[in-house]
Amino acid sequence: MNAFETAALALIAGFVPLGWVCLRERELDGVVALELAGVVTTLVLICLAEGYHRGIYLGVAVVCSAVTWISGFVFARFFGRL
Amino acid sequence: MENILVDVLLAAGVAAELVCCLGVAVMRDVYDRLHYASAGTSVGPFLVLAALLVREGLASQGLEAIAVVALLFLANPLVVHAIARAARRIDAGETASSGPQGGEV
Repeated sequence: MNAFETAALALIAGFVPLGWVCLRERELDGVVALELAGVVTTLVLICLAEGYHRGIYLGVAVVCSAVTWISGFVFARFFGRL
Repeated sequence: MENILVDVLLAAGVAAELVCCLGVAVMRDVYDRLHYASAGTSVGPFLVLAALLVREGLASQGLEAIAVVALLFLANPLVVHAIARAARRIDAGETASSGPQGGEV
């Protein structure tokens, strides 16, 4: 297990507090947690691509960061309109 | 020497990201949480990118990682602003029809 795989594993631990916020706090706080979870997921994908020495996997990280951005806008717009 | 630098940068990046995750959970207000979420899109990703660039250099893998981190860094402040705006509307009790711009007729 190299350094990047270990980093990916450690980053996954960050989902625990974010999931707690999504479950326990109000909706907009959950959107904030979801936004940061998207960033953490992108970093995990970067670390796994580098850890496995598969540059092609970085395309998944590109898509993940773009989708995170779009979903943040959609949720903010939706909750701002309620 | 290069491996030590990669390890240090990765550890710093992961630690920064985990602190931001904990900060989002600990804070009580949505604006305070946004503060930590913003830091999570800039500090941690740049440190992880630096670790990757030290190992790979500016090969295709490095360039693609630069694109990902640049997208995170440039795009996420817009989302943070949108969420803060939505929070302000909710806190002020504004709806689409009663907003400051007048809304629907």
